[in-house]
Amino acid sequence: MAGMSPSEKRLQKELMSLMKEPPPGVSVDAEIAEQNLLLWIIRMEGVSGTLYEGEQFELQFKFSNKYPFDSPEVTFVGNNIPVHPHVYSNGHICLSILTDDWSPALSVQSVCLSIVSMLSSCKEKKRPPDNAFYVKTCNKNPKKTKWWYHDDSV
Amino acid sequence: MVIVIMGDEAKNSSTATEDVSQLNQDELIMAQQRQIEKEISETIPLVGDLENILLLEHEYSNDDVYQEKVKNLAKKYKSIRRTRPDGNCFFRAFSFAYIERLLDKKEDFDAFYKKTAKSKDDLVELGFQQFTVEDFYDTYLDVLKRVGDIAEVEGAKTELHSLFNDQGYSDYMVVYLRLLTSGQLQKEKDFYSCFIEGHTTVEDFCHQEVEPMYKESDHIHIIAACAALGTGVRVVYMDRGTGKAVTEHDLPEGCVPSVHLLYRPGHYDILYPI
Repeated sequence: MAGMSPSEKRLQKELMSLMKEPPPGVSVDAEIAEQNLLLWIIRMEGVSGTLYEGEQFELQFKFSNKYPFDSPEVTFVGNNIPVHPHVYSNGHICLSILTDDWSPALSVQSVCLSIVSMLSSCKEKKRPPDNAFYVKTCNKNPKKTKWWYHDDSV
Repeated sequence: MVIVIMGDEAKNSSTATEDVSQLNQDELIMAQQRQIEKEISETIPLVGDLENILLLEHEYSNDDVYQEKVKNLAKKYKSIRRTRPDGNCFFRAFSFAYIERLLDKKEDFDAFYKKTAKSKDDLVELGFQQFTVEDFYDTYLDVLKRVGDIAEVEGAKTELHSLFNDQGYSDYMVVYLRLLTSGQLQKEKDFYSCFIEGHTTVEDFCHQEVEPMYKESDHIHIIAACAALGTGVRVVYMDRGTGKAVTEHDLPEGCVPSVHLLYRPGHYDILYPI
C-alpha cells in the first residue's frame, strides 16, 4: 500500500474487511469503492421480524482526507429512503455517532451496525415531525446541521 | 475570543433545529467555531517550548489573586510547557510529559515500550476492531521507537517534541491514549461505574466521552489513563478561589507522580518541578 495517504490506507483495510466479512444483510459495492476510495455505496436489507423486513436500502458514505479523524458523511440514497423518526425524506440521518460522538475508533462497519439497530428498534414508521421544513432548508451536507440528539430509544 | 451558546429555544425542537433564523444560525455558529479553532491552531502549538514559570505573571498583570498564586507556584516549579486548548490537552500533555520523563531512564523506557507493545491484543480482546486500533498502535510504537533509538537524551527529547507538534503523529498519540484509557475503564467497569453520573453505562461513557477526539477530560479520565500507563500524576489547580496557595491533587491518591500538570479551568499544561 505504498504511496497511499493514511486515510486511504485505513479505508482500503476497511473495504477489504467489509468485503470479506460483512455484517448480516450489509454489502458494499466494491466496484464503486475501488474506483474512488472516498465514496462508497452500501446496500442494506431490512432485518426480518422488524418493520423494514423485505425492504432494500442504499447508504452513501463520503470520506474526507482527514478520515478517520473526521466522521464520514452518511446519507440514505436511491429510491427507497426508510420511513423512520430519525431519517429525513432527503436521506439525512440524525445519529450522534455521525457527528458529536464520532471517534476514530469507529468504522464503516460500526456505523452500519448502528443504523441497522436504529431501524430494527423502530416501533412506528413515520418521518421526523420537522421533516418538511428541514428538507426544504437544510444544507446538502448533513454534517452542517447542528443536531440535537434527544431520544436513543427509537 | 467569543463563546457561542445556542439559544434555549433550540432545545425544544424535535430533531433538527426548526425555524429559518435558527437554521441559518447553525451555519453561522459552525463557521464561527471553525474560525476560533483556526485562530487557536495558528497561534498555539500542540506542545509548546519550555517557558519560565514566572512568565505566567504576565497573563495576570491586573489580578492580585493570580499573581500571588503564580509566585507560590514558582517556589516548586521552574518551568511550564503550554499545550493547545483543543479538548485533547490532557491526553496530549500527559502522553508527552510521561514519555519525556521516561527518556531520562533507559530501563523505565524499555519496560514501558514492552508494556505498550502488548497493549493492542488487550484492546482487541476487549472488543475493539483490529484495524481501527492498529493504525494508532503502530504510530504510537513507531514514535516510541524513533525517540528510543536516539542515544543522547536531549536529542531524543527534541525529536519527541517535534513529533508531538506534527499533527500526523500527535493526534495518533492522543487517540491511542484515549483508546487505552477506554480499555482500562471497560476492563474495570465495576469500579469505575461508581464515578459515572446518571444511568450511563461505562461502555456508553467511553464511546461518548473518552474515545471521541476533542472531548475534555475529567478526574475519571485521568485516573484511568494513569492506571493504563501504570503511573501517577500530580494536578496543580489554579483558579480565582480564595487563598494564596494552589491546590495539589495526586492521582491516584498517594502515588509518586511522574508527571505534573497545571490545571486552570478547562485546560491542562505541563509543569516542571525545581
